[in-house]
Amino acid sequence: MGASAALIEVHDLTRTFGGVRALDGVTLAVRAGERRAVIGPNGAGKTTLFNVLTGELSPTAGSVRLAGRDITRATTWQRARWGLARMYQRNELFAPLSARENVALAVASRAGPYRLFGSSGAESKMADELLAKVGLAGRESSAARALSHGERRQLELAVSLAQGPEVLLLDEPTAGMSPAETARITELIASLDRALTILIVEHDMDVVFRLADRISVLHEGRVIADGAPGQIRGDVRVNEVYLGKAVTVG
Amino acid sequence: MRRVATWLAIAVAAAGLVAFPYWSAGWESSRFATTVLRDILVFAIFALSLDLLVGFAGMPSLGHAAFFGAGAYAAGIASQRLATSELAVTLAAAAASAALLALVIGALVVRTAGIFFLMLTLAFAQIVFAIAFQWTSVTGGSNGLAGVGRPDLFGIDLSSSERIYVLVAVAFLAIALGLRAIVHSPYGRALVGVRENERRMRALGYDTTRLRLSAFVLAGTIAGIAGALSAYSLRFVSAQDVGIGTSIRGFVMVLIGGAGTLVGPVLGAAIVTYIERVLSSATPMAETVLGLVFIGFVLLARQGLVGIGRAAWAQARR
Amino acid sequence: MSPELLFEQALNGLSFGALLFILAAGLSLVFGMMDVVNLAHGAFYMLGAYVALSVVQRTGSFWLALVVAPLALGILGVILEPLLLRRLRGRHLDQVLLTIGVSLVIVDQIGAIWGREVRSLAAPAGLDGSVPLVGGEYPVYRLFVIGFGVLLAAVVSVVHQRTKVGMLIRAGVEDAEMLGALGVNTDRLFAATFAVGAALAGLAGVVAAPVFGLQPGMDGDALIYSLVVVVVGGLGTLGGAIAGSALVGPADTFGKVLFQEFALAVIFAIVALVLLFRPTGLLGRIRVAR
Repeated sequence: MGASAALIEVHDLTRTFGGVRALDGVTLAVRAGERRAVIGPNGAGKTTLFNVLTGELSPTAGSVRLAGRDITRATTWQRARWGLARMYQRNELFAPLSARENVALAVASRAGPYRLFGSSGAESKMADELLAKVGLAGRESSAARALSHGERRQLELAVSLAQGPEVLLLDEPTAGMSPAETARITELIASLDRALTILIVEHDMDVVFRLADRISVLHEGRVIADGAPGQIRGDVRVNEVYLGKAVTVG
Repeated sequence: MRRVATWLAIAVAAAGLVAFPYWSAGWESSRFATTVLRDILVFAIFALSLDLLVGFAGMPSLGHAAFFGAGAYAAGIASQRLATSELAVTLAAAAASAALLALVIGALVVRTAGIFFLMLTLAFAQIVFAIAFQWTSVTGGSNGLAGVGRPDLFGIDLSSSERIYVLVAVAFLAIALGLRAIVHSPYGRALVGVRENERRMRALGYDTTRLRLSAFVLAGTIAGIAGALSAYSLRFVSAQDVGIGTSIRGFVMVLIGGAGTLVGPVLGAAIVTYIERVLSSATPMAETVLGLVFIGFVLLARQGLVGIGRAAWAQARR
Repeated sequence: MSPELLFEQALNGLSFGALLFILAAGLSLVFGMMDVVNLAHGAFYMLGAYVALSVVQRTGSFWLALVVAPLALGILGVILEPLLLRRLRGRHLDQVLLTIGVSLVIVDQIGAIWGREVRSLAAPAGLDGSVPLVGGEYPVYRLFVIGFGVLLAAVVSVVHQRTKVGMLIRAGVEDAEMLGALGVNTDRLFAATFAVGAALAGLAGVVAAPVFGLQPGMDGDALIYSLVVVVVGGLGTLGGAIAGSALVGPADTFGKVLFQEFALAVIFAIVALVLLFRPTGLLGRIRVAR
């Protein structure tokens, strides 16, 4: 790892469920502005890692740091306030609310909810801008549950972006998308502000190689490889782990 | 232009509501109508507060009567023990007592949800009921607290039935307007967010536990005010005010009228009070009617009358 | 407290506990299987007692009432479930609300049919005396209640663990959806479960009547106590109903003796504490239905 301090890092992270070690001493450090992909076969521990990062799951051992601050015991909402956002693999939207209202709630979170007199006009405007950016212009007034799956993924991304995060966790952003939708959202993520630090869990290798500065490979709860995309492509252990699966690395 | 006209119409209706006993004085049943309308408004306040919790924040409480009763008892006990009839004092006592009780209970229940929350609120309300029922020296026990004095406000005597009605009507309008502001505020929207997807709200940086607690305390306080108004109106507080029947009645009002709306609880309060006050003298089966109506709504019109109204409006527009 | 008084209160506690078991078992079963908290459970209990009253008035036989009342409630249950609850499959909170409406109707109709005065039901001949016991006399009927409760618990346990029906119930409590996917007719299973739950409530009503009498408001008391037992012991399990009633029965009895005025408050405080620190109850399984 380079000398520059990590923005988000985990150290010796372990999480057991009964007898299963979903995470087994994972150590990762992501620099500010870096785009890190976390890949690995199913059951490797990627979702567990994300859940521990956001605080929705507590680790059995190990620590999580954000901008140098130990957040291992912090609540999910506290971490969000400190700049951590997540795009969920299975959409977590406000179903009966419109796309605009969904994003507006995220925008409003920055100012805190204990306000009687709101800036709903300004929030709606920001929401519309963001919705246009992710490609949902014209769909602002549609209820979230009325959107197509691809549109809901776009909304899901918009909501997490609207928080104004410093670190964005993307949990399988292209899950369930058509090739066209996948291409569009990949380019969208690629075009995001470079100041934003991104961790992305993905199964689609094309997307991974398009977006990642570095790749960490997880297998059975451990990091078995960690490096630039070129390195990972040629790594023996990584290829072993993926051998026999439908996915070939690169 | 339309907005001005709407607000004007509302202002006229509000004035009409407040002045009801005066302009209806000529009616034969004016007195009776006034007391029924007064009771409707007291319960409308109660139902509105419950709706804030159930409809907006998505917290199904079956123990809301605890706060209604706490407010009623506090107002009554304060007026008797402090030998005062000053509204400001007794109403403040009611609001403060209800708020404190809601804070204590809320701190314990607010981390649960759904059925668990339902049963916990029920259990706690029963504790309060048990205390009210047994603590005869303070609450009058099963006989209730009698002789609650009518209040006066800074010297203005409010003891006549017309003036008590005006007090209730003004309180209702003030609370309804207040709740309207709350519901349309960022706070209100945050509550809806918690209702729809608490997990996401936490991921967005909202402290959902604190939001729920604040809603619980706010709703409890307003219920306490309704309780105080009930005590002044009836000059009596019964242990049943804190009982499961009152909690259920509130829930029925909210659902029949339409949960998650402002008009719904008021409509529901009107209907349920009508059934229980007016219908019950015509037929001995008023509670059965109420139960059947409630079942009907749960099965067929879950969004209540407001829901039916909205569907009809959408249909008519096509 | 003198040892005689202690023993007497212990017996009272046990008989109350036995009663609570009969009462709570049905509620626990319905919740475990269908994820529905039947808030009409108290009304069913009340109806059972009043049906027993009529049967005894007409035939003079308590034992006949002991059979007829649960049967009647079972029939009611088997009618209500498909008629009302089934339409709300999957909407657990709404089903709970529905049972509130059912409760309102049943309780009001009981008042309309039987009147709202306090009534009493005598223990059957042979069980209406007292026996000399450790320094005093103790009502035979209460001993009968203890025995009946224990017997019922034993029978239910055997059925639960050793029979095919019991296996269906255990599987259904675990995962009703899966059971449906395996080809079991869950509609019929749910209807039957609800009917059994109602029948047990009715049975409790009959057994309790000679001890507690019949009056308006008994449904509320019964509902509260069964909720307490089920929550403390553990929602949805048979063992939970047994554990809960074994705990709450004596606790309530001794609480009333020791704390008098505030006994009820103490009981609910215990409930709250259990719920807060062990939300699954002592032996239960957690269901979070929204």
